[in-house]
Amino acid sequence: MTSVPATPAGAPPLLAVESVDVTLGRGWRANQVLSGVDLGIWPGEIVGLVGETGSGKTTLARTVVGLVNPTRGRIVFEGQPISALRRGARRAERRRGHVQLVFQDPLQSLDPDLTVAEIVAEGLRIRGETDGEQIRRRVTAALAKVGLDATVLERTPGQISGGQRQRVSIARALAVEPRLLICDEPVSALDASSRNHILRLLRELRDSLGLPIVVISHDLSSLAGIADRVVVLYRGRIVEDGPVDRVFATPRHPYTALLMASAPTVRDDRPFSAHQLRHGNPGPVPQASPDACVFAARCPFAAGICAAQPSLTPVGERWSVSCHRHEEWGALAQSATDQEGPAHAR
Amino acid sequence: MAIDNRKPPPDLLASRSGTGRQATGDDDVLRLDDLHVSVHGGAATAVRGVSLRIRPGEIVGLVGESGSGKTLTCRAALGVLPDGCAVERGTVSFAGLDVTSLSRRGWERLHGSHMGAVFQDPASYLNPVLTVGGQLAEVLRVKLRMTRREARRRALELFEAVGLRQPERVYDQIPAELSGGMLQRVMIAIAISCDPQLLVADEPTTALDVTIQAEVLELLRQLRDERGLAILFVSHDLAVITALCDRIVVFYAGEVVEAGPTGEIAQRPRHPYTQALLRVASVGDFRRRGLEVIAGQPPRVGADITGCRFAPRCPLAVPECAAGPIRSVLAGDQHEVRCVHAARAVTAS
Repeated sequence: MTSVPATPAGAPPLLAVESVDVTLGRGWRANQVLSGVDLGIWPGEIVGLVGETGSGKTTLARTVVGLVNPTRGRIVFEGQPISALRRGARRAERRRGHVQLVFQDPLQSLDPDLTVAEIVAEGLRIRGETDGEQIRRRVTAALAKVGLDATVLERTPGQISGGQRQRVSIARALAVEPRLLICDEPVSALDASSRNHILRLLRELRDSLGLPIVVISHDLSSLAGIADRVVVLYRGRIVEDGPVDRVFATPRHPYTALLMASAPTVRDDRPFSAHQLRHGNPGPVPQASPDACVFAARCPFAAGICAAQPSLTPVGERWSVSCHRHEEWGALAQSATDQEGPAHAR
Repeated sequence: MAIDNRKPPPDLLASRSGTGRQATGDDDVLRLDDLHVSVHGGAATAVRGVSLRIRPGEIVGLVGESGSGKTLTCRAALGVLPDGCAVERGTVSFAGLDVTSLSRRGWERLHGSHMGAVFQDPASYLNPVLTVGGQLAEVLRVKLRMTRREARRRALELFEAVGLRQPERVYDQIPAELSGGMLQRVMIAIAISCDPQLLVADEPTTALDVTIQAEVLELLRQLRDERGLAILFVSHDLAVITALCDRIVVFYAGEVVEAGPTGEIAQRPRHPYTQALLRVASVGDFRRRGLEVIAGQPPRVGADITGCRFAPRCPLAVPECAAGPIRSVLAGDQHEVRCVHAARAVTAS
């Protein structure tokens, strides 16, 4: 199995997201999507970024590749603050393609009129390569890396299967030899077997190329097989960030535990059940106050102290959590089992 | 809950629907016998000889890869096959009545009042410019001849029954104002509004977040418990199916390869395909493990294959697998398997 790559203490991260806020829209439509996000990605690691719809996962990915500007904070890639680049310098950085994003739905993000060969070559042409022979060679090499042979070269996205389409999007990103790969929901549209194929492929790419990969997913369990580290987002804030084995063994944030308890499994071996972690009333819960902990309204363990947003505090080696009651809620959840019983959604 | 939970006795159906057919007396809500469904105007057969039965209050799960015929099977059960598809052979019986060749009007009488359905994408089944409450009330007024006032009151009760908070507020909202989980609850409310005996749910949670998915699954289980609703649940995710269903039917390339009680299938799967599905699905637990895959691709829809359709991908394939049609054998209590190895084991014992 893979292991967490040894990161020398104090080594600078390849990518650093530093106290980033992102607001989308203006005026009355303005919506703060990310708040104070701090995140580092080190070489050779696979980081799983998890959260539900609207938690800001995709916006964070788009901010990192420069498609969205942070309203506060900065993005530093290999020591260079890329979010501060403007106009020509920003475009030049984007053209180099050091950070590649694999978009969510390949059927929508791949041009249906282009052939696979043209799609994969696009990044190389944008970077300014003109040598047709060399482009062809790189395209074939990139497709080989994702396990596709030359037979797909002349097909269009509509003529290949869902799993193959996802491989083509990954090949497109790999063709420009990125330093960091970000995959937005790479497996959510696939069935179990194809999903494992793609996850395996990502792991092999990390092992053979040493490529750090960020995998965005709404499904925590699909990350168990590949991620070294897991970062949990809730309403635009990181609530937990730690080594995947330890987080999954003893989640320290009630939201992480709720995500785990909600995933259907064939075999049940989880520390908590969803009933213990769910607020009595399901559905959208009004936000108590803008300063309160983002999760407080949904949290069955919220107390007076939760009226203030907790900061991300270390609870172990490379493991931090943003919860005032991270030491107490586990016991509370256990004791809540008997009195509540199955709280039916109502 | 304020809603009337009493079920009409099964024999009431004939008089209620006015079809005038003879009830055969068994208590299955839905029964498929040797169902064959052709696609592309009869050019290929996508569902080949599917038989299954659902009793009142039972949740039966159909699982399989995309293209395995599970969706066509449940569409045939609902009488809403897409254009170009037709029941080629076999029968569909609903509450003891043969409804295979029912007219369009006949099906319309069954829809809503006897069978309800929810699908993967609730937003595309609702009118985007009408309030969701109005759309539910319309169903009640048409199907149950309620007055506006009665329909509104009943709609609010139903919204509450499916776990929508503030039903009064939701009533006047349009689909775009509701989240995916809330829309799916609205769809479930519409599906159960006329107190059907059967709910067909085709991938109803695939597009939802895991936390919301867990809540919707719980709601379905609760509706079964409180109303004795029979549910035909379709998903490609064996983990979801195992968590919810009483019985599991495994589809592969248009055939049922294994069927049985959930415990049997999950603990003692006999068909190599089910075993493979369980291995790939067990990523659902949180231990670090190898990511297993099923080698190869399923056959083309309608491909003509003698013998076992899974054999080309099967690690246990023997020459016998391709020799002739594989019979389905009973490998345990209500546990059917279509595999030569299981057949051999049964004959030996």
